[in-house]
Amino acid sequence: MNIIMDFKSIDDILDFAIKNEQQAADFYNKLSGDSSVKEMKNTFAEYAKEEEGHKARLIKIKDTGEYNVKEEEVLDLKIGDYLVSAKTSEQMTYQEALILAMKREKAAYKLYMRLSEIAPNNNLKNIFKNLAIEEAKHKLKFEIEYDDIIYHEN
Amino acid sequence: MDILDYLKEERNKDWRKNLRSQIKTKDRTKTKKVKMPEENPDIRNTNNIEVNSGLTKEQALLEASRCIDCANPTCITGCPVGINIPKFIKNIESGDFLAAAATLKETNSLPAVCGRVCPQEIQCEEQCFYTTKLKLPPVAIGYLERFAADFEQNSGEISVPQVAEKNNIKIAVIGGGPAGLATATDLIKFGYDVTVFEALHEIGGVLKYGIPEFRLPNTIVDVEINNLKQMGVKFITNFIVGKTASFDDLRKEGFKAFFVASGAGLPNFMNIPGENFINIFSSNEYLTRVNLMNAANDNFDTPVFSGENVAIIGGGNTAMDSVRMAKRLGAKRAMIVYRRSREEMPARVEEVKHAIEEGIEFLNLHNPIEYFADEKRRVKSMKLQKMELGEPDDSGRRRPVPIEGAIEEIDVDTVVVAVGVSPNPLIPRSLSDLEVSKWGTIIVNDDMQSSIEDIFAGGDIVRGGATVILAMGDGRKAAIGINKYIKQKIKK
Repeated sequence: MNIIMDFKSIDDILDFAIKNEQQAADFYNKLSGDSSVKEMKNTFAEYAKEEEGHKARLIKIKDTGEYNVKEEEVLDLKIGDYLVSAKTSEQMTYQEALILAMKREKAAYKLYMRLSEIAPNNNLKNIFKNLAIEEAKHKLKFEIEYDDIIYHEN
Repeated sequence: MDILDYLKEERNKDWRKNLRSQIKTKDRTKTKKVKMPEENPDIRNTNNIEVNSGLTKEQALLEASRCIDCANPTCITGCPVGINIPKFIKNIESGDFLAAAATLKETNSLPAVCGRVCPQEIQCEEQCFYTTKLKLPPVAIGYLERFAADFEQNSGEISVPQVAEKNNIKIAVIGGGPAGLATATDLIKFGYDVTVFEALHEIGGVLKYGIPEFRLPNTIVDVEINNLKQMGVKFITNFIVGKTASFDDLRKEGFKAFFVASGAGLPNFMNIPGENFINIFSSNEYLTRVNLMNAANDNFDTPVFSGENVAIIGGGNTAMDSVRMAKRLGAKRAMIVYRRSREEMPARVEEVKHAIEEGIEFLNLHNPIEYFADEKRRVKSMKLQKMELGEPDDSGRRRPVPIEGAIEEIDVDTVVVAVGVSPNPLIPRSLSDLEVSKWGTIIVNDDMQSSIEDIFAGGDIVRGGATVILAMGDGRKAAIGINKYIKQKIKK
């Protein structure tokens, strides 16, 4: 997390988070573009939109300084934690895509939690905590899908 | 005739009225539900003999007398293929067992199979008057179905349902499992020229490769398949549509419509570290090698390794079949490793009961997270994470959550992964215009018609892994859909 030491202002941190959300959106848009299955294309395009929504929220916070704090507990099934990572490819199955997505969301969660820990003031701490919660919710959504379909009889 | 009118007309026949008048309803409901005779667990877990041995005539007659022949037979609403349940049960009560079998075959081409493997407890029996109104054990519809079907099979007087005059229109059914066989039955009855293409060397699909002899003997399935042959259905084995021949090849051969029932033969793996080690099988492979390739028979050169400490991952019927098979193959410790608790197990209650009786261990609320191997890459142990159930989520389901730090390692020399299955990808991959879901199931409309108008689909390739009877229900629905399509498109 050396990257965090380079932040000189709140805007720096927010810019970093905005970039991070854009990368997530790009990741899902790439999965959507690569897939030959219409339903997979649509699903990943939706995920990309959600990440773009996060980005828009961060931009608004940066511009106005306003944000809403929501304290929530999000269940962590830890399904993704134990799985071997998959590689991206055009022939990727939805199972492989879900594994990648779970791991990505978990990494994003950890990043925001870390940013929340080292943020210089409570306002920023809360912003990052909220973003971490959003990522945790995403991961939970993917884990539930994995649980219901891949672990159907487990 | 409307189905309700048909049911009413049948119920008003004199023989049914006479039967109803012979025993008062009050007295019928006093009779206790029959118990299925079973083989001794300590002996049966060393062989492949069928566990349930079937009702005696006396038991069947008594159980049939419990059915009060409701004016509104709700049991039928629970049957995906719409068997006229009160009629066949009253056939039994009147002692006409062959008529009972004929009634079953009006809508069900595999009654001896369904009488054994259908989850009646969540279908017809759940809708029985005894269950819904009296809060008593339901009429044993499944046991009676098996009794009537077995009686006919053993009688040597197997009836062949009537078929319409041949119309010489060729229909291809792809897959010889329950969905394909149900469609083939109805289409041949409508007069079509039906050919079933099967990828394996035997017809029956999951009935043959998936369900072990001790639960469903292959000879029972063969009798039902022979009946279809007698009705005129043609079977071609070792033929993979999409590889051996394409859909276009078959169109050139004159086939006017297709029913894809290629099933869910793709096993799901968990994707945890070490899952590729030697002696870690999918349940599909493990069961297929025993059920269809004689792996347990020393006279065949297609053995399967089955060790002393065998862990089966999963809690469904396939997991129960696998673990009970492992016990029969000589495992000292045959274990179910399941992430949730007993209450959430998708396996039928009867299968879990049988497994417990046969000495199967249950490691519930345990989840494998890693496998370890010896120097030859053969699995030797597994790391298990203990779980607890979280609060119900929005869907009402309690999800298993790891207990922090509660990890143990156990010795295993064989692992069978039975966590679920996915649709066979071969046909969807061979047709670029075929619309599929993100999970690879074929998307169909209410007539079971896919995005390609002459291709219909049903069973596990559409559902992604369900029951035999739901697949058969799809097959029957598809037959109606295909008939409608042919009438609209071809006969114009």
